[in-house]
Amino acid sequence: MTTQTETRSGVATGTLARLRARNPYLNGLLSPRGITGLIIVGLLALAGLLAPALADFAPTAQSDQALHSPGGAHPLGTDEVGRDLFSRVLHGIRNDLAIILIAVPVAALAGSLLALLATASRAADAVVQRFFDLVLAFPGLILALAITAIMGPGFLPVVIVIALAETPGFGRVLRAGILVQREREYAVAARVGGAGRARVLIRHVLPNAVDPLIVQLAISLPVAVFIEGAMSFLGVGVRPPEPTLGSVLSQSMPYLSSHPWYAAAPLITVTGLVLGFTLIAEALNKGVRR
Amino acid sequence: MSAYLLRRVPSALLVLLLASFVIFLILRLIPGDPATTLAGPDAPPGTVEAIRAQLGLDQPVLTQYLDWLGSLLTGDLGPSYTIGGDVAELIGNGFGATVELAVGALLLVVALGLALGILGATARSRPVRAAVRILTTTALSVPPFVTGVVLVLTFAVALRWLPAGGHLSVLEAPDLGAQYLLLPSVCLSLPSAAVLGRYLKDGLERALDEDYVRTATALGVSRRRIVWRHALPNALPPAVTVLGMQTGHLLGGAILVEAIFAWPGLGQLAQQGVVLRDYPVVQALLLLLVAVFVATQLLTDIAYAWLDPRIRW
Repeated sequence: MTTQTETRSGVATGTLARLRARNPYLNGLLSPRGITGLIIVGLLALAGLLAPALADFAPTAQSDQALHSPGGAHPLGTDEVGRDLFSRVLHGIRNDLAIILIAVPVAALAGSLLALLATASRAADAVVQRFFDLVLAFPGLILALAITAIMGPGFLPVVIVIALAETPGFGRVLRAGILVQREREYAVAARVGGAGRARVLIRHVLPNAVDPLIVQLAISLPVAVFIEGAMSFLGVGVRPPEPTLGSVLSQSMPYLSSHPWYAAAPLITVTGLVLGFTLIAEALNKGVRR
Repeated sequence: MSAYLLRRVPSALLVLLLASFVIFLILRLIPGDPATTLAGPDAPPGTVEAIRAQLGLDQPVLTQYLDWLGSLLTGDLGPSYTIGGDVAELIGNGFGATVELAVGALLLVVALGLALGILGATARSRPVRAAVRILTTTALSVPPFVTGVVLVLTFAVALRWLPAGGHLSVLEAPDLGAQYLLLPSVCLSLPSAAVLGRYLKDGLERALDEDYVRTATALGVSRRRIVWRHALPNALPPAVTVLGMQTGHLLGGAILVEAIFAWPGLGQLAQQGVVLRDYPVVQALLLLLVAVFVATQLLTDIAYAWLDPRIRW
């Protein structure tokens, strides 16, 4: 284990190599697996970002050319009301990323705050832990149905469901980290040295406990894509006609046997996005465990 | 055992009672008055009042809750608001289809999980181990709606072996019913089978490292007998806990799989209830799901205690 790190920094002497040896996350990310994931996600994200420039048609613009085969003005064909599928898939990526980039950081923040609360007192810990158990025990989709029953379908409920479902993951990881780190000798030494509770927590314990959150962040991304897609399939996702990857795919279901190409593009894109995120998460995890 | 049951059953019932109260309260907090919705936009004010009185919505919330609890015990859940028909009848209709799907998937989870776990832990050939690992990772990371679409495209559209969706009761037509059941239950079972397989593989690998396995090997016991008689029974208890937890996820997953394969079960009913804001239906379904969930956990604990005689009550 140690020899491997030593050889690596010994053989390669560039700045990047030195950074890699020092930072396990960077090292994991730059493995073949991690680079593959980064390329897939990067390309898809770029396509989503540039969607308005790349697509000739608006994603919600209908035309009289319904279920037009791929080719010509519509590289991926059109859907049942003549909307350009190329534009819908690109804007679908864009909407999915928007949902994920709001929901996952919210979950990370909420989970972290709850973890801080839980490690502050025994009573708070019991309450927070029960809350995590409750959310985790409820299958995510039942949670989705319950929240949509209250709020009605839309962009915000999807974000809330994802954030709520992913909060316990972040909370548990950080709570465990804080509990382990604050019993370490350096933290005890700081306490003995007269540092206050807040100072020990902020200056000593937290910097050492937040690392696993990065892996948790990566794990949460594909799960978020999954929840969005599932909610669209249940008809409780983002309101039509606005496209998401899940909604375009679910709308193609009735045409699977008559127009199989309709499902192809959303299917490949959503699989690519989940696969890319999963590869990145695995690469980060491997890097840390090394 | 009976002392253990006496301790576990009341606490499970208490959880259920608490859940019923929370579900009831949350659905009361929803903005919008069902009586106004039912009466329609142009109804005279008197109609709304009449509907409200008829549904008991003019009573205090606690009275309404107790009424609902009472109706749960008698099985008469009253009429649905928007879907049409009796709530109890609607649930009864969907229940059979969902149970078929869940049982089919559960059988597949056990079979596939056992196969993946045992092969992963004991196969000596590298390709087999690699295949198990790839299958497990894929089943875990690919969302069920992707698996579902791929299954339909492959087996229904391209090969034309199986129907793309719909439902026919296995009890009424075993042959055809099984054909309708196969794709949805495979789609539903894959993620849970992968989780079970992983736990079983870890447990088996640990068990195969134990002293008693070395002793048995030294005594000339066959490899097959060692795996099935000695290692597996010791690897099973944690796997059963996982299976219990996965049963809950199967229920959640069933909602999605039913939507993909147009399977007319409780998941479809729940989806309809939410979209059409039919609260009596949603309320009863949520409670039913919690009840099944609590019951599963209770059964898991009992099975665990039964499988591992070292656990004392």
